[in-house]
Amino acid sequence: MTASLETSDLRKAFGGVTALDGATVRFRHGQVNALIGPNGSGKTTYFNCVTGMIRPDSGTVTYRGKEVTKKAPHAIARAGIGRTFQLCRVFPRMSALDNVLAAVRPGGILGGLRGARRGAEIDRARGWLTRLGIEHLLHVEARNLSWGQQKLLELAGVLMGDPETVLLDEPAGGVNPALLDRIATLVRELNAEGRTFVIVEHNMDLVMSISDHIVVFDRGRPIAEGPPSTIRTDERVLGAYLGV
Amino acid sequence: MPSDSDPRPSRLGPALRIAAILVLAAALLSFPSLAPNPYVLSASVVVLNYAVLATSWNFVGGFTGYVSLGHGALAGLGGYGTGLFIVKAGLPSFLSLVLAALLVAVIAVPIGMAALRVRGASFVIVSIALVLILLLVFQSWASFTGGSRGLVVPRPFELSRPEHHRVFYFLYAALLFVATLTWWLIDRSRFGLGLKAIREDEDKAEALGTPTFTYKLVVFVVSATFTALSGGLYALWFGDLDPVFQFSILTGSYLVLMALLGGVRNLFGPLVGALVVGIALEYFKVEFGNTPLHLVATGLLLALVVMFMPDGVLPALGSLIQRFRRGPQQGSIREMTAAELRDDRARQDATIGGTR
Repeated sequence: MTASLETSDLRKAFGGVTALDGATVRFRHGQVNALIGPNGSGKTTYFNCVTGMIRPDSGTVTYRGKEVTKKAPHAIARAGIGRTFQLCRVFPRMSALDNVLAAVRPGGILGGLRGARRGAEIDRARGWLTRLGIEHLLHVEARNLSWGQQKLLELAGVLMGDPETVLLDEPAGGVNPALLDRIATLVRELNAEGRTFVIVEHNMDLVMSISDHIVVFDRGRPIAEGPPSTIRTDERVLGAYLGV
Repeated sequence: MPSDSDPRPSRLGPALRIAAILVLAAALLSFPSLAPNPYVLSASVVVLNYAVLATSWNFVGGFTGYVSLGHGALAGLGGYGTGLFIVKAGLPSFLSLVLAALLVAVIAVPIGMAALRVRGASFVIVSIALVLILLLVFQSWASFTGGSRGLVVPRPFELSRPEHHRVFYFLYAALLFVATLTWWLIDRSRFGLGLKAIREDEDKAEALGTPTFTYKLVVFVVSATFTALSGGLYALWFGDLDPVFQFSILTGSYLVLMALLGGVRNLFGPLVGALVVGIALEYFKVEFGNTPLHLVATGLLLALVVMFMPDGVLPALGSLIQRFRRGPQQGSIREMTAAELRDDRARQDATIGGTR
């Protein structure tokens, strides 16, 4: 299985706190990968370094064979990596439709001057909102949506950018079981269509049910990796989670 | 007219909106004929100058949410650039105006590259620094700029004073039209949607693939160009430039107040704000002379707007009209029935259809 996203000896410290301590990881192309670990193990910092939101102190990030370590977040997004945030982020005073359309990338100066609301793009935006079950909220301001609806809207926006690899940061956080089921189903469907996923998640039922490959972080570095069946019984993982 | 992406589209029909715009245009164009005396006409030129400056400010402030107090400096650069091209290089007045605006656009690139790297309060402070630095430069470099003695700019036309005001009134009206049209075009574009995404959440916009820095820089340069054109027209109209007034933080503060008052997310917000604030400033100056009372009144107005109409006058009026039309307003979308949502969607689909 080829690597979609890989990092080598990634390090990041915030003052005296080491968030990433030499993270060397390979996420597999075309699979649902999970990144798990106790709170403070560096998972979100890892996502932020990979997507260019923060610059690592050292180490490299490679995507599909090309190094993207020092690229700006928008360039990494355009390279094919989309992401959601741990604390769901939408454009609060924009409609759900505009939240999704904002992910359309204009091609050059002339592309930027074209109308933001064009038929084909509206249809595509509607398609994603429909697929996520929130099409009826098309014109509602994002700030008026519930937390769960905002999570779905955030995901719709990311998918509108047509990323090859999707990083989901705690998609199950604060959502009800029905919504969780919808998200899990969507991840499976999108993965079947060829998208790679890397999911940071604390909900072990979700992780074990949808992941093909799991990487476990502790104190800023991977301590174990493998399929769910292996990770479930790995003593290092149990030690990291239970402190034994 | 609400912004294209305003999630609460106006309930006013398109015909009513067009009628309102036509009435506004007719009122603007007929005002010089109705003005009772040259003073009122000259005051209206000042107000139109504010309207262009506030609309120009709103390219940055309205779209990206970056609050600049330094736009007065860009207007001052436009004014001095125009004056210096005429006085030092002997160029024709309006060629000087265009060249000065282009020069300011070029200068705005490095200024924007430096200033737009910071956000929030830091950006405000950097924009204030720009004003203070330019004030020092233009005061100190007396051999070139005239320093504190000021710079006398030759007038472009041999006209009587009322005619001079009348001509510049229409020149400002034309510039306001072009600036407003440009704002409207950007508002409807993908570029505009990207800018609004920056205003809402810059990191998120970047993560979605929007080159936020480039977008901010481009719109800053556009804003600076219109601001410089307005400053240049002012130099040609007023004929006398003083660095203390040209590079004043007060100018930038007035622009922020005007745009906030009218509504930064609204096409005509800055114009409405300029009408209210500009007329109020003139009134206070006439009634109370050269006292700081107009500043006190301006501060109070800003406080009232922030407290009671944070979105501005036009959005507040829009909400009021909606409330009258709909009856008691729902507090949350979860209180809407499925039927209401369907009706709402059908109504707003028609709005989208018009922009396809």
